[in-house]
Amino acid sequence: MKDHITRADHDPIIVTEHLMKTFPGPVTALDDFTIQVQRGEVLVVIGPSGSGKSTLLRCLNGLESIDSGRIVIDGIPLDNHEANRFAIRREVGMVFQAFNLFPHLSVLENINLAQRLVRGVRKSEATETTRVLLAKVGLSEKIHSYPDELSGGQQQRVAIARAVALHPKVMLFDEATSALDPEMIGEVLDVMRRLAEEGMTMVIVTHEMGFAKEVSDRVAFMVDGRLVEEAETQAFFTQPQQERTRDFLRQIL
Amino acid sequence: MSLPRRASAQLLHWFAFAVSCLALIWLVLRGAERLGYSWHWRQIPRYLWTCADGTCSFGPLMQGLLVTLEITAVSILGATIIGLCTAMLRLSNSFVGRGAARFYLETVRNTPLLVQIFFLYFVIAPLFDFERTTTAILALSLFEGAYASEIFRAGITSIGRGQWEACYSLGLSRSQSFQHVILPQAVRRVLPPLTGQAVSLIKDSALVSTIAVSDLTMQGRMIVAETFLSFEVWFVVAAIYLVLTLALSSLAHAIERRFPRIA
Repeated sequence: MKDHITRADHDPIIVTEHLMKTFPGPVTALDDFTIQVQRGEVLVVIGPSGSGKSTLLRCLNGLESIDSGRIVIDGIPLDNHEANRFAIRREVGMVFQAFNLFPHLSVLENINLAQRLVRGVRKSEATETTRVLLAKVGLSEKIHSYPDELSGGQQQRVAIARAVALHPKVMLFDEATSALDPEMIGEVLDVMRRLAEEGMTMVIVTHEMGFAKEVSDRVAFMVDGRLVEEAETQAFFTQPQQERTRDFLRQIL
Repeated sequence: MSLPRRASAQLLHWFAFAVSCLALIWLVLRGAERLGYSWHWRQIPRYLWTCADGTCSFGPLMQGLLVTLEITAVSILGATIIGLCTAMLRLSNSFVGRGAARFYLETVRNTPLLVQIFFLYFVIAPLFDFERTTTAILALSLFEGAYASEIFRAGITSIGRGQWEACYSLGLSRSQSFQHVILPQAVRRVLPPLTGQAVSLIKDSALVSTIAVSDLTMQGRMIVAETFLSFEVWFVVAAIYLVLTLALSSLAHAIERRFPRIA
């Protein structure tokens, strides 16, 4: 656990209020969901499958639209203004379960593309950033490889580097290790851990409870789109308040 | 144990191949004999090219081939552009765009090319003072463009949602995502069916001879009218088309091998 963040640092970078989201079915994915994430904080969101964790992340960068409620990220309201949505996406990086690298581009081009198009960075400068980041995730020698030549763990590390290259203020991780073979989970978690240590604000949906305990400042537990319990990590795991939280923790730990 | 067995199976396949070849040859020879046709192959080369005093020049068939090449090359380009634009219109948010694309598509795909060529030649071309060749290129581009657009559309929609989402999450706009991520992957994926469409275009181009464009088919028709060498001339014309389409297919195949990265 990091110790430089406490509840006293009240500087929320993500504010959500009364989020409602229903999918045709109807399935309620978010039900009056309210939470704040402080600058530099690592929040882990857990819950049974279908509880709306992924939907929450996808709403935070506007990949899904909310039916009602309010989302403000770094002072920018996520509303129907296209400009705001793009402004938020520039500040919020996302890592997907399925990596979603661009298969027709090399690792270098994958990481350079958005730097050039979105940040307007010169090619040489983008390439320099890419080299530094690849060194950090331990993939310097793969710079000219293509995604299909990489293992799942390597692909996910490239995907993280691709998002971080834009210097986002927030990183969202949507089950980043769920599609990986067990022996590759560690290398991806290591990269995420280092990012947390550097003070990146992160919202992480994961099933890796050991990892959650270790890196997160706070844990939120969701069921059926509702926030059941939210607490500082240690308190959450040692003295959960809600019956449903205790049931869930018993099942998974 | 398994080796002799596989060898005998191989032998059987070769036997079947030999029998098929013999049957085909017998059929052709027998057919030609029954026809009671006297073949005059010797007269054919001069319609391909003539050499006199050390300088060689193209005969009418080769000149026709050049016209066919020109028309099909420009039409392939035109059909690609029209196809891509139509596909994008069909996938756009504008219902006017989608409606217009749909109207064009249904009209073109559900009427014969010959009728379209006549319509363009007799109705549209006089309005704009189009030449025959222009009319021919326009007709072929519009016709094949409709089919190409469906191929492009299938290719674009086959790219998974995850690719769009990755683009959006990186802050790319819709058009940037399309241009840099979706389209390049879609094009690679649709190259084989697109090649098939280009082959169709080459074959369909024979129909422009009906508006007196002096393409390969038109030249063939004129030689037949003069010489009555119908079988020899049409066989040669067919062989030239075959060489053309096979060349195109192998070119596309080479491109596919050169750029193997298909998602």
